[in-house]
Amino acid sequence: MGIPEQGIEGGQPVDLSKHPSGIVPTLQNIVSTVNLDCKLDLKAIALQARNAEYNPKRFAAVIMRIREPKTTALIFASGKMVCTGAKSEQQSKLAARKYARIIQKLGFPARFKDFKIQNIVGSCDVKFPIRLEGLAYSHGAFSSYEPELFPGLIYRMKQPKIVLLIFVSGKIVLTGAKVRDETYTAFENIYPVLTEFRKNQQWYGFFFFSISL
Amino acid sequence: MSCKSCYGRSLVMDDVTGDTVCSSCGVVQDFDNFQAHFGGISGPTGTYVRLGTAGTGNVYGYKETKIYEAQKVIEDTMFKLGLSGSRSNEVKAMIDKITEGEYGQGSWFPVLTGACAYVVMRKDNNTLPISEVANFVGCDIHELGRMVSRVVEFLELKLPEFDIVDSLERAIKTCPSFSGVSADLSRRMLKQGVFLVQCLIKWFVTTGRRPIPVVAAVLVFVATLNQVDVKINELAKELHVAVATCKKRYKELLVRLVEVARVLPWGEDVTTKNIINNAPYVIQYMEMKSMEKRGENNKHNQDREFCLDDLIDQCLSKDLGYGYGSYGLVNDSQYFEPNLSNEFPDELQLSQECLAMVYAKFLDEASLVKSISHVEEGNCRKRATGHDLFDWSDWWNGKSKLSKKLMLKQILEQDVGLNYLPPSFEWGCKVYEIRKKKIEAAKSRIQTTMSSSSENSLVRNDCFVEDVNMSERKRKRQFDIDWEDFIIETLLLHQVKEEEIGKGHYNTLLDLYVFCDENVARV
Repeated sequence: MGIPEQGIEGGQPVDLSKHPSGIVPTLQNIVSTVNLDCKLDLKAIALQARNAEYNPKRFAAVIMRIREPKTTALIFASGKMVCTGAKSEQQSKLAARKYARIIQKLGFPARFKDFKIQNIVGSCDVKFPIRLEGLAYSHGAFSSYEPELFPGLIYRMKQPKIVLLIFVSGKIVLTGAKVRDETYTAFENIYPVLTEFRKNQQWYGFFFFSISL
Repeated sequence: MSCKSCYGRSLVMDDVTGDTVCSSCGVVQDFDNFQAHFGGISGPTGTYVRLGTAGTGNVYGYKETKIYEAQKVIEDTMFKLGLSGSRSNEVKAMIDKITEGEYGQGSWFPVLTGACAYVVMRKDNNTLPISEVANFVGCDIHELGRMVSRVVEFLELKLPEFDIVDSLERAIKTCPSFSGVSADLSRRMLKQGVFLVQCLIKWFVTTGRRPIPVVAAVLVFVATLNQVDVKINELAKELHVAVATCKKRYKELLVRLVEVARVLPWGEDVTTKNIINNAPYVIQYMEMKSMEKRGENNKHNQDREFCLDDLIDQCLSKDLGYGYGSYGLVNDSQYFEPNLSNEFPDELQLSQECLAMVYAKFLDEASLVKSISHVEEGNCRKRATGHDLFDWSDWWNGKSKLSKKLMLKQILEQDVGLNYLPPSFEWGCKVYEIRKKKIEAAKSRIQTTMSSSSENSLVRNDCFVEDVNMSERKRKRQFDIDWEDFIIETLLLHQVKEEEIGKGHYNTLLDLYVFCDENVARV
């Protein structure tokens, strides 16, 4: 591993036209599916592959893991496969191909059919505390805030159709996207709403109101 | 069939007795009322005899039995939850609608009953804690929560938000721990509790947290203030919440009150251990602050000065009530130091002379009390418990708006002398700062390694401390460097932005920048 030529600080600056908030959600998990288009003998796979586990009493699929990209796959007898844990779409596809290759090497006529990204999970931190009660009250149609059951506010955005988990600490989780731009758009949509409910929003409102009087 | 006497065949059935009689000789024939049943449209008839039943058995079918049993479960749950007749009927109607009149017998049915009871109560703005329902139903709160959300979704309802103030009121009314408390005291405690709960809402203690442990913590605090003997363990059990969470919230409440107490002249001496003794003054101060009008801040500085002066005077005049015993009177000189005013918020401009005078007065009186307390040793021991310090009750005014239930907006508009950030946010900031320091340290380590002149130089910074006497204690060499530092170094060497590293998503960054295929191929 060589020392980078331009020093130890690298990377591209945030594109403000795409991310006006200046914050880019980090993708944490990509879930994809693919059809291997052949019936599989799960017991044979579990016996032959050393990175596989299979407990039909517990779950009717082989759980297989690879280290590069660090992912986990659920392989079903029908030939359908779910790949989870990748950090980018390319990684997810690459991992799925690797799993398909492993299945092929085990003697099954596996193909790589209908690969699809099913879910993208991202997270970010807005770096200010959020009054969840206020947000739940004013965006009641989209929000569900039940502190008895879950500490975060669940915000179901209609367009794009994304679910956001918003926490008092300012940390946000975005899930349900099929493409990463949906995650980014959802965050840019919610950011102005969150800034309204950052701590002391009502204070400032009241303060300006009293000054204008 | 022929007659047993005349052998004639003219046998007829007597309508009255049902016996067979010979119409020619009139002889009643032998008893034979057997009627053979051969099925047909109505099927075989008769009494169904089976094992496990006594007497005549029951004639209900499966469906009737199921509905009967289900209604028994509903009634039992309603009784346990203390729901009135009309609400009980509402719950029954809701279950009937959801199950389309089928009800149910599985283990899910009591959960559905509990969920419907919770929804009915919550719909009408009546608080029924989910933990209480889950306890009576005998299931996990998350299981119940899932059922509640299914019910709400199915019936297309919109539940109002959970009201923590109402749950405080409910707890004080229903908990056995408060059963012996007089109505007056209960009302007073409720007002104080509402005041403190609303302060905690303002200070983010309730946001994103389970409300009932907060209620328990406030109730224990208020009970202690009012000399009502309530144990946090017992109260937590009565409210069906975890004791550890209640204790944590109680501590958080104390920490925040200590922060408020900083404005008092002896504020530096107030800690979480003696805050209970100082709580009357702190709450009185908070009440006064909350009653101030925000727009008149500058106009009435003079008045407020008098207010705080009055408060201090009041505190000092209660010579026996002041809990000086809990904290020492050493280092008194700090109160006369010129930077005293820095301890106060900008808007509270108390003159140093005024405070010095007041505190001198306090010292005089405290010394007098001390001498008295030496004589009354028995009382002294009792005082140490801190429970007899609040015999006087005039510290509680109860006129603040915060003593009544307010809307969130109104709560946030109130000033109680302290603003606090959510603990999770504060923790996040702290961790971020530590991470930033680690990044700086890692950068300097990399620079040192890269520069040839620094081969033997000793790197010293916050995150890298090396023992100089390596030869003597080679095995005890201590490096304050851990796995996190190594990961940060690796990421920096792979040109990951510092900002990205600062977020702390190490696994993601490692996968994206370090263990990506290009790098692996290069290795």
